[in-house]
Amino acid sequence: MAGSGKGRGRAAFTFNIEAIGFAKGETLPEVAFKPPPLFPPTDFKPVPLKMGEEEDYMLALKQEFRASMKKMPYFMQKEDENQGIEKYSKKYLQMRKESMEWTPAGGKMKKAKVATPKSNVDVLKKIEELEKKGDEEKSDEEKEKEKDKEGEEEEEEAGNEQEEYDEEDHEEENDYIASYFEDGDDFGAGSDDNMDEATY
Amino acid sequence: MTQAEIKLCSLLLQEHFGEIVEKIGTHLIKTGSQPLRVIANDTGMSLDQVKKALCVLIQHNLVTYQLQKRGFVEYEASCSRVLRILRYPRYIYTAKTLYSDMGELIVEELLLNGKMTMSVVVRKVVNRLTETMEDGKTMDYGEVSNTFVRLADTHFIQRCPMAPETTETLDAPPPPVPTLVVNEKDMYVVPNLNLIGKGKRRRSFDDEDNGEHKAKRQKQDADSKEPPPDDGIYWQTNIDRFHQHFRDQAIVSAVANRMDQIFRSLPAGYNIVKQILDQYLTLLADDPLEFVGKSGDSGGGMYVINLHKALATLATATLESIVQERFGSRCARIFRLLLRKKHLEQKQVEDFAMIPAKEAKDMLYKMLSENFVSLQEIPKTPDHAPSRTFYLYAVNTLSSARMLLHWCYKSVANLIERRQYETKENKRLLEKSQRVEAILASMQATGAEEMQLQEIEEMITAPERQQLENLKRNVNKIDASENQVDETIFVLESYIESTVKKL
Repeated sequence: MAGSGKGRGRAAFTFNIEAIGFAKGETLPEVAFKPPPLFPPTDFKPVPLKMGEEEDYMLALKQEFRASMKKMPYFMQKEDENQGIEKYSKKYLQMRKESMEWTPAGGKMKKAKVATPKSNVDVLKKIEELEKKGDEEKSDEEKEKEKDKEGEEEEEEAGNEQEEYDEEDHEEENDYIASYFEDGDDFGAGSDDNMDEATY
Repeated sequence: MTQAEIKLCSLLLQEHFGEIVEKIGTHLIKTGSQPLRVIANDTGMSLDQVKKALCVLIQHNLVTYQLQKRGFVEYEASCSRVLRILRYPRYIYTAKTLYSDMGELIVEELLLNGKMTMSVVVRKVVNRLTETMEDGKTMDYGEVSNTFVRLADTHFIQRCPMAPETTETLDAPPPPVPTLVVNEKDMYVVPNLNLIGKGKRRRSFDDEDNGEHKAKRQKQDADSKEPPPDDGIYWQTNIDRFHQHFRDQAIVSAVANRMDQIFRSLPAGYNIVKQILDQYLTLLADDPLEFVGKSGDSGGGMYVINLHKALATLATATLESIVQERFGSRCARIFRLLLRKKHLEQKQVEDFAMIPAKEAKDMLYKMLSENFVSLQEIPKTPDHAPSRTFYLYAVNTLSSARMLLHWCYKSVANLIERRQYETKENKRLLEKSQRVEAILASMQATGAEEMQLQEIEEMITAPERQQLENLKRNVNKIDASENQVDETIFVLESYIESTVKKL
C-alpha cells in the first residue's frame, strides 16, 4: 500500500506527471548538484545604452557633481596612513583644507556667544541650587555644559545628553527613589510602626 | 531595508561624502534611530567625528532627529532619501530644460549644499555665470533672483523647517533639540530681498592693482559683518515635485507614442476646434490603455487621467521588455499572454501562444525559476491529489516589480563597485596624467615653446594613452548605465508607491 507505484521498486511521483506537461516515460531534465554559476552564460546580449545629447549631458553633470562634492568641506577624508614618502605638497593642501572647515548654521555661533553671559547666569543659579543638594559633580558638569554651548547645536544636545546620563547615574548613587518624595505627601508615614526591618 | 539597498546607500555616501560619513550613515540605516553615544560606541569613532558626520548628513536632509520621551535625542537616517543621490543629475537637467542655465545652477548649488539661504545661492550662481561669460561682462543679480522666485512658485524648491521664533527667556534653559516647524503657507514664500549688484569674477593676483585689491577686500569684509536680511530662511530642493514632473512626462510621452499620428497633426498652440478635441478625447478614453477615462458628462464631458492605471501600465511595459531581453521574444509572448489572461493552465498556454508544448513548458519553467511567473494550485478534491488539481500559471505584477527593483539596486551597486575598481587599478596612471596636464597648463600660461610642450606630452607613452582612453570610455559607459538604470528604478518605484498609498 505505501508507496508502491506502477512498478515495484521503480521511482514514481505522487501525482500525475501529465498535469505539469511532461509526457509519460519521457526523460526528465537533469537535477542540479551544485549552486548555479556565478556568471551564468546569457543567451542574449544586453541592449545597447541610450545615446544622445540628453544622456551625454547628464553623464557630464553626474561626473562634475561627483568631482565638486569631493572638493566641498562636507567631504570628510579619513586620515591616510603615511604612504611611505610624504609628499611636500601635502603640507600645503592640508592648510588649504583646514581653512575651508565648515560648521553648520554659521550664524548660530554668534547667537550662542551672546547667550553665554545669560547662560552663565543660568549656570550660576543652577550651581547654587545644586550646592544645596551638596553635589560637586554637577557643577563640573555645568561648566562642561557651558563650554559645549559655545560650540555647535549638536554639542549642546550631547552636553544635555551627558547631563541626562549623568543625572541618572547621579540619581542611582543614593538609595532614595526620588519620585516617592515629590508630592510632599507623607508616603512613608503610615507604615512607620517602629519597624526597622523590611516587611515580608 | 534590503541588503542591496544598504550596500548601494553605503557606496553612494562614500563617493559623495567620504568614508567617515559613510560609516556612520550606513550604521544608522542598518540600525534605525539611535542616540549619539550609541552611534559613537557602535562605530568605534570619536564623538567629535560622529557629531561632524551627523551635521553633514542633517545638512543634506539625509538624517533627521527627534526628541524622545525619556529626554534624549535620537537620529534616524532615511535610506530612500540617500538613494535619491543617484537621481541628482536628472533633477539638474530638468531644471535646465525648464528654467535654462540659471535654474540649472540654482538647483545644482542647492543639491551640493543641502540647505542654503536665498542670498547665498543667488550670489554663488551669479559668480559662476559671470565666470563663463566673456571678459568684461558680468551677470546681474536680478535675473537670477527672478529665476529663484519662479522655481519657488512652481514648488521645485521649498523652505526648510525653521526654529520657531522664541522670546529669549532667562530662566528656561534652551531645549536640547530645536523643534523645527514649517508653516504650510510659508513653504514657498520668497523673502523680500533687495538683491542688487553684479557678479564678481575670481581674479588672479596678477591682474589686480594692490590698492584696488585692498579696497575691495575691505568692502567685502563690511558686507560680511552684517547678517544677510534672510538669515535663517533656508531653502532645499523639493524632490517630490521633481518626481511629479517626471511622472507626468512619462505618461505624456507614453500616450504620445501611442497616438503618434494624431499628435503630429495637432496644430501648435491650443486652438483646437472643439469637435476635433472631442474626437481625440473619445479616442483616448476608449483606448485599451485606459490612461484617460470619462467620468461624466457635465460641461460637455468630464475627462480624468487615471494615474494608478497609467503607472501600472508603465511598470508592466518595463517588465515585458525585461522578459523579452532576458528570455527571448517567445517567452515575452507567453508573458504578455499571461498578463492579459491572468490565469492559464499549461495546456492553455500552449494553445493560446501557438508554441509547441515542449518549448512552452521549457520557457514557463525558466520564467518560474526566476520568479517572473507563479504557480497556483487549485484542488478539485479535498485531498489535494495532484492528478485531480488544476495548476495555473499567473503573473503577479506587484511582486515582480518589487523583485526587479531589488535587482536594479543590486545592479547599480555592482556598477559603482566596478567603476571604483577600474579607477583604483589605474590610479597611478591617472595621477601621472593629471600631473602632466598641470605642467602643460602652467607652461602654456607662461608661454613655452612648441618643442617643450611636445616633450612634456611625450611623457605619457602611446600604450599608456591607449590605456587612459580605455579607462575613460569604460568609466563613462558605467556612469551612463547607472543613470539609465535609475530611470527604471523611478518607474518601478512610482508604481509600487502608488499601490501602497491609497490617496
